[in-house]
Amino acid sequence: MICPKPTAITGLGCISGAGLDLAESLENMFSGKRNPQPPTKFTTDHAVASLVLELRDEFKLPLDAQETVYARTCQLALAAAFQALTDAGWDSENLCGKRVGVCIGTTVGCALNCDDFYRAYKGDDIPDIGIMERFLRSNPAAVVARQLKLDGPVQTVVNACSSGTDAIGIGAAWLRAGACDIVIAGGADELLRLTYSGFSSLMITAPEPCKPFDLHRKGLNLGEGAGIVILENESLAGTKQKKGYLRGYGSACDAYHLTAPHPEGKGLKQAIAEALSVAKLRADQIAFVNAHGTGTPDNDKVESRVLDAVFPGIPFASTKGYTGHTLGAAGGIEAVFTIACLNRGEIPASIGFSTPDPELPATPVKVNTPINGSAALSESLAFGGNNAVVIFAKGDT
Amino acid sequence: MRMAIQGIGITGGFGSGVETLRTALQTGVVTTREIDGFPAYHANIDGLDEFVPKRSLRRIDHLSKMTLLSACQALQDADSLDGDRSRMGVVIATGYGTLQTSFKFLDSYLDYGYACSSPTHFSNSVHNAAAAHVSMQMQATAPSLTVSQFEMSVPSALLSAQQWLAEGRVDQVLFGAVDEFCEVLRYCRENFFGAAEQGPLQPFAFSEQSAVAGEGAVFFVLTRADEDATYGCIDKIMLGNHLACSVKLPQDDLLIIGADGHKECGSLYEQLLNDREVAAYAPLYGSFPAAVGFDLAAAAVSLRDRTIYASPESAGAADTAVLSPRKLDRQGLACLKFGGGGDYGLIRLSR
Repeated sequence: MICPKPTAITGLGCISGAGLDLAESLENMFSGKRNPQPPTKFTTDHAVASLVLELRDEFKLPLDAQETVYARTCQLALAAAFQALTDAGWDSENLCGKRVGVCIGTTVGCALNCDDFYRAYKGDDIPDIGIMERFLRSNPAAVVARQLKLDGPVQTVVNACSSGTDAIGIGAAWLRAGACDIVIAGGADELLRLTYSGFSSLMITAPEPCKPFDLHRKGLNLGEGAGIVILENESLAGTKQKKGYLRGYGSACDAYHLTAPHPEGKGLKQAIAEALSVAKLRADQIAFVNAHGTGTPDNDKVESRVLDAVFPGIPFASTKGYTGHTLGAAGGIEAVFTIACLNRGEIPASIGFSTPDPELPATPVKVNTPINGSAALSESLAFGGNNAVVIFAKGDT
Repeated sequence: MRMAIQGIGITGGFGSGVETLRTALQTGVVTTREIDGFPAYHANIDGLDEFVPKRSLRRIDHLSKMTLLSACQALQDADSLDGDRSRMGVVIATGYGTLQTSFKFLDSYLDYGYACSSPTHFSNSVHNAAAAHVSMQMQATAPSLTVSQFEMSVPSALLSAQQWLAEGRVDQVLFGAVDEFCEVLRYCRENFFGAAEQGPLQPFAFSEQSAVAGEGAVFFVLTRADEDATYGCIDKIMLGNHLACSVKLPQDDLLIIGADGHKECGSLYEQLLNDREVAAYAPLYGSFPAAVGFDLAAAAVSLRDRTIYASPESAGAADTAVLSPRKLDRQGLACLKFGGGGDYGLIRLSR
């Protein structure tokens, strides 16, 4: 396996229920603020509502006039991409003529969100074909590339909840292969009635604020948002301030079950081993782990076992208590948080965790915790048995 | 890095198996099947139980069954049906994902209430469900990737397969492309294109709308090209936007174009083809995003047979179109596909 040089990360952008940009997200997380509530943008007839983390109402779609042109997921991807590009010193003018790739992970961004269309189709009404036209225009990576008039590789990754993490690993590979010089990579997903009903049907959503790794955890809270990093090759990144570096990426499939993780975390261990090997790091050189930590009984049990086995004593936290589970966006958002926490030298309390579960051998941090070290790992587990891991190094200070 | 094609499995409107595709290329005749007066190329999944026990297929939907059938065929064709799969990556490209199951999931809550949403349909409606079924059936524990980008899904996903092999992440990639037809799609196509969907599909009639819907799955077993290739090699994959930066076609290569009767993209092909020697095979399998993979299979079979097969429809074809079969006297072939908004994918193959 090739062990490449670290990839420079020059810009970060994120939007979620934790905050409308990185600074606000960090402020809220480190002060322990979160705001899960029943969904306000759609209704269902569930007897008990599961809580979700929606974006604050102040959030403005970046393409106001085109709200009906692109799906909300595309707008979230664009908003986070604009933040990250600005952070990296790029805009649509100085990007012109550069070879820029776009790799975005999503789950619902490629799903047919067409309740209203389909209800009319099944009934006596005439369906609004415009809903389908919008779907056909709304491939997240393609929309970002087109809006910014970019020329380069474009990929929309649909690996369920590991999509955002995979997209970052794939984008870095494009740079190494010389397919482009800059990559806009990460994940985006909106909150939909479709996924809300789907996750509720699996009985893994919680009617209360989620409690990752806690004895009394009852399930996940869905969320929405986007997280984007800007990756640049050495010649372009040059002397720019680097926000961080991507040191390693690994992924593996459990090949075990459509929705449940392998009980011993076989694929997750394999993905971690690959990422550490590529990064040329030992497990004890990892300062902290941003866990997938959804708050579901199965996920947290498996993840805790793997963290205990591979990273004994290394602090870890789940940030999903602040953001909700943003599905395909989660890997992108958590990559941004991981880099920011590395640079800050501190990780936030794993909100929702208070009572250890005797079945879980490793438990997350209860309070904001200083960390020592220059590398950290973020992991994502997904439907389909996918596991993806990225390792980041601290940026320039 | 070049990728060697070691095996192909395919199911589409012409039948199932790579030799059936070859027969279709030789005869140029495939009939569509009409449902409610609307023709389409429907794929069947006969023979899947030769590879996968029926019991394991109970909760697996049509898209995943097409996927499993052609994946198994590809491994059989590559003489790799048995063996250790810990170093075999799975990459799947799909334009729409699982349409039928997605609508069944909507049925479950629109008919019976949100609290009665079907967990089985939900978990099978996720885009990477087909890849998961392949990984589980094959015990493929290496990386798995699903890409969904309408017509650009295949070239984009192929780029990742190439990089996995180049970087030594895997030794073999089971690469597939799949899309399915469904009644809602038929309704939408009727609304978008009206009577033009009645066929025949005429890929060279660039200014006409003549697309006919299709479905199917195709899989390739890919390795690094340091091994001998059964079918030929994939040399290069290019993606971009033709309107932002014009596509640069490889000199001298014969082109297999993904023109499938959509006039929106027809003009882009027309502009580029001037004196190019071109073939188009969409009338053998129809119009659907994953059909780019079928073009790739046609190119691979042509390289193996050292024969370029006749384009099945000649309406609107220029003198440079390949309208009768002949010996393939060139080293290279390239598959070109245009998607919405000028996006393009170009895949170059050679012996």
